[in-house]
Amino acid sequence: MKRVSKNQILVPLRSKRRFYGHGIPRVDLEQLAGKLIVVEGADGSGRSTQIAMLVEWLEAGGHATVQVGLKRSTLVSEELDRAQEGNILSRTTLSLFYATDFADQLENIILPALKAGFIVLADRYIYTLMARDMVRGMDEAWLKNVYGIALEPDAVFYLNVPPEELVQRNFAKNMTLDYWESGMDIGLSRDMFDSFMQYQRAVEKTFRHLQTTYGFTILDGMRSPDAIHMELRKKASAVLAGK
Amino acid sequence: MKTFAELGFPGRLIAVEGLDGSGKSTQIYLLKRWLEQQQLKVYFSEWNSSEIVKAATSKGKKRELLTPTTFSLIHATDFADRYERHLVPLLRAGYLVLCDRYIFTAFARDVVRGCPPEWVRGIYNFAAHPDLTFFFKADLEVSLQRILDGRPQLKYFEAGMDLRLSTDPYESFRIFQGRMLEQYLAMSTEFNFIVLDANQLIEAQQATVRELVSQRVDLGRFRQADRPAPKALRKPAKKVRELEKEIVE
Repeated sequence: MKRVSKNQILVPLRSKRRFYGHGIPRVDLEQLAGKLIVVEGADGSGRSTQIAMLVEWLEAGGHATVQVGLKRSTLVSEELDRAQEGNILSRTTLSLFYATDFADQLENIILPALKAGFIVLADRYIYTLMARDMVRGMDEAWLKNVYGIALEPDAVFYLNVPPEELVQRNFAKNMTLDYWESGMDIGLSRDMFDSFMQYQRAVEKTFRHLQTTYGFTILDGMRSPDAIHMELRKKASAVLAGK
Repeated sequence: MKTFAELGFPGRLIAVEGLDGSGKSTQIYLLKRWLEQQQLKVYFSEWNSSEIVKAATSKGKKRELLTPTTFSLIHATDFADRYERHLVPLLRAGYLVLCDRYIFTAFARDVVRGCPPEWVRGIYNFAAHPDLTFFFKADLEVSLQRILDGRPQLKYFEAGMDLRLSTDPYESFRIFQGRMLEQYLAMSTEFNFIVLDANQLIEAQQATVRELVSQRVDLGRFRQADRPAPKALRKPAKKVRELEKEIVE
């Protein structure tokens, strides 16, 4: 870590980069000077709050940030939304639709921002997409091939909150449970509450399985936002220092 | 991957592949008409035609938003939708499914665009292989001429302009199609393509296609059960009966 100015702005050090698989054709990894930090977790786990707090802190420290998230691509986000409303997508289609959305943001936002030296904060990444699909019975090896296009982030933080608490937080916020976040398409239970609990448990289990491959940091999401933020700061500082 | 027959499906899938302008669409159309006229259960599906995905694909193409990776993934999404919602259920129900382009189009096109072959093939490995694949092999110049004569306004991705092969769309299209042909020919043996000479007259090709289909597929199994024709077809029949009545009177 190098302190360059009187107001103590840290200039991030480079870290070694790689794609998980074949990656994106014709990308020079050496040129990606920025950092990619991913926050994962279910709806209601506090992801957005934590990302907002990280942005505040990073910008105060002189770092430029860019945020990405699922279903935010110019290419397919509207179409994906419309298709999901009708609930007519079968699982491979849904999976590839999300992969297209991810690839579009990777190539048009994430990679260019990293090249320009930005800190990219991703509100979920390929792990959520993989976990959702695996719970729906899709083949892990197939998913790993598809997402071989993804860049390995500098850090991945998973906010772990048990389903019992997620339910409470979702009701406190929206008074309703989301159809897809409850896994209603799988038919686990006709009771939405039951379905939500079963689905979230299955997703959590899959995350723990994926953790063994991708080695992300699991954080206890039951603590106060400030307590979680302080831990994230410490970890993000290490990332900036190229560790 | 196995064919639908090998997987025990009662239906059969017949695919046509070839360059733009090789005449494959004309041939599969004529095959479809012939099968329909024998009252067989037939379904036709075209590459890049899913109602759900098509809007996104055309937006991406029009605004030139697509990269080789997203071009590949969005076409795979389109294929998956048609495969899971139409092709598989119809093949389970014992239909003859005709496909104008199948996964080999992606294998050729995406690889020419620079995607790793193993990645592309991995994406499509959920799809069973066709029971018959006709490859319409025309001389490059012949297929180029057919396209260039017909509609001289080449689209950006169709001409492979995204590959920066040439600033001239016609030159770019030539190089792109040439590379596609190389990819197709390299796959031909591996995927048991039935290679047809697309330089021949339409009728000569169609005769070969029908001959091969009746040899390789037990068409008798695909007869439609005797049931009342759909309303749209019944109406003219009524008219005919009325006419007959008039004539008798």
